[in-house]
Amino acid sequence: MIDVLSEDFEIVYSPTFIDLKEIPNVDLAIVEGGVRTKEDERLVREVRAKCRILVALGLCATHGGITSLGNILSLKSLLETEYSLTDKTKLPELEDLMYPICSFVDVDYYIPGCPPMPLLIVHTFKSIVSGKQPMRFQSVVCTECHRKIIAAKLDRLYGVYEKEADHELCLVSQGFVCLGSLTRDGCGAPCPRAGFTCFGCRGPPDSMMYRSRDMYAFLVKVIASRTSINEETIKAELYRNPFVFHTFIFSSFERAKAREKVI
Amino acid sequence: MSGKEITISPTTRIEGNGKVTIRLDESGNVTDAHFYATEVRGFEFFMRGMEADRLPFIISRICGVCSTAHITASVEAIESIYQTEITETAKRLRELLLMGQIINNHSLVTYFLTLPDFWFPLDEDPSKRNIFQIMRERPDIGKKAISLRRFGAKILEVIGKREVHVLSVIPGGLINPLKESERAVLLKEAEDSLETVKEALIMGKELFDKNWADFKKMGNYRTHYMALTKDNAIDFYSGKIRIINPEGTTLSEFTAQDYMKHVEEKISSWTFAKFAYIKALGWPEGIVQVGPTARINVNSRSTTELADKELQEFKKRFGSPAHYTILFDYARLIDLVYAVEKTIEILNRDDLTRTDTRVRVKAKAGRGIGVVEAPRGTLAHEYVLNEEGRLEQLKLIIPTQINNQAINLNVKDAATEFIHNGEIKPGLLNRIEMVIRAYDPCIKCATRTSGEKLSVEIRNRRDELLTVL
Repeated sequence: MIDVLSEDFEIVYSPTFIDLKEIPNVDLAIVEGGVRTKEDERLVREVRAKCRILVALGLCATHGGITSLGNILSLKSLLETEYSLTDKTKLPELEDLMYPICSFVDVDYYIPGCPPMPLLIVHTFKSIVSGKQPMRFQSVVCTECHRKIIAAKLDRLYGVYEKEADHELCLVSQGFVCLGSLTRDGCGAPCPRAGFTCFGCRGPPDSMMYRSRDMYAFLVKVIASRTSINEETIKAELYRNPFVFHTFIFSSFERAKAREKVI
Repeated sequence: MSGKEITISPTTRIEGNGKVTIRLDESGNVTDAHFYATEVRGFEFFMRGMEADRLPFIISRICGVCSTAHITASVEAIESIYQTEITETAKRLRELLLMGQIINNHSLVTYFLTLPDFWFPLDEDPSKRNIFQIMRERPDIGKKAISLRRFGAKILEVIGKREVHVLSVIPGGLINPLKESERAVLLKEAEDSLETVKEALIMGKELFDKNWADFKKMGNYRTHYMALTKDNAIDFYSGKIRIINPEGTTLSEFTAQDYMKHVEEKISSWTFAKFAYIKALGWPEGIVQVGPTARINVNSRSTTELADKELQEFKKRFGSPAHYTILFDYARLIDLVYAVEKTIEILNRDDLTRTDTRVRVKAKAGRGIGVVEAPRGTLAHEYVLNEEGRLEQLKLIIPTQINNQAINLNVKDAATEFIHNGEIKPGLLNRIEMVIRAYDPCIKCATRTSGEKLSVEIRNRRDELLTVL
């Protein structure tokens, strides 16, 4: 990917590859990772001030990502349990929560995914360079999945290791909790194609980005219609597991922002 | 320039960001130096309560670079709790994935991160000291670097089903068998990669010879070493864990399930990265190093032809155990050769495309440990699962944590070597960063944080900040 991008861009700053310690003024900046400390916040504000176009790349930058699970536990308990000895004078102060970067700065394009597929990244940057609007993926992963959706007759849900998946049938129709029906497409559905449930790393699609949409109720309905299990049983099962929505639950931060910017 | 502190921030060309501070006395000589990790993500906290079903896939998000090692260690820990014995086919495919990761990671580190230090003279303009400048001067080398890295990624994509954060590794084996057509594609690319890696070896050794007299000054710290070993040969996936002392005598040898009896971790007030050490020896006597040099130091041979020849030459030239810090960069090339040779060996096995990649698992409660050799050294995941199949406790001991103290000591040694009377010549601070780079530290892993800042501060005795680099 670097070779493709270096055709169109002169890469001038990147702590991973280049020994420049000061951030220069640039046309385009790509930010990976979310904001966990005051130092991150300072850095992302500096980047915004020094670039013309800002792209948030990856789920941590766009939504807060998996690290946002840390928001369940308070910062205080985190420090008290493990880092009680932390010398506050030497380490940056933590933010109260893990934030996506759009909580602090305006973002021009969001490319969610953990990680986003290379094709998506290359397409977006090639479009930006040529002055075109990148093609946006607005639908759900199910549209990119080859599996056949049926209304099966099941009596319970299954864990992903509990049984081997049929290769042709929709994973939800087989009783697995696959999040493809409420996850943005553009990845090509590699996980459900391989027989592993989608876990939502592209974040919600356009239709789910209204605050009024209850993704949870939507998922219950999807599972019920594809398995014939009654909704109460599904709800009980999903409520039992707080991690089903691990990438979605914290995405409300990002849902407030313009949908048109999400690739 | 009396009594101050130098800061390098962010340290560049390593995975994740960090920071170094060097403290000078009144006459400008080094009194202390530290390598910092300055962020925290808290995986150990928020993973608690997670169902075993989701655990490996999520926990591998600790790191994008060595995600395959994490998911493998995680799945093996769960399998040891479930008492699952996976098939030989699944074992071979997992080993192949680990080789793909070594190729992917080591080609990145060798070409993109450390090569510029060997390539350019000491006083080179820092804005040119990078792979992009090398690519401009020698496009052929850039192409090789990229093709080798792509091959590693291809293995992960074909067998792991995703190039970054593979998903095929699950308790019980692998989701999908390898198809004949997939094997053929990988084999063809593997032969080309072997040629590339041979050229990389020649180039690497030449550059090493050219710089050796100068670079060996950058730390020669005698510590214990730890790595996996199988019949005295290097292994990334199976075998026992062996610890040797600085003279090369075996101190202990144990199985993965006993890992936590031998290795302990501690925290320091000034960094979010923990320190791991040998329990029996205590702190700080129990300082131990892992990674490419440790793998060679702990073992007497390699099971593949060229890698074994190179390993023997390495031992003959630098002794065993070899202690010079910069040898990590040399040993990494030998890892790379081994990984490509091993990939070809595994790909050529008749039984590799068998369809028995998965056995049924039966969930149980209990405690279990999974250990593999990650690119940066021995990696261990320990879990306690409860009756509901949820994670009750977890402990991760990560290579960069183990090397953390050695890195800090080396940073101090290097700073003492290069900074006299408060005078800092151009390029010398980069030498300090090179010491860190040799370890290929992964701060994201060591702190399980996102986007760490690594930076060097020069402070005076009154703790006044003089420069940030």
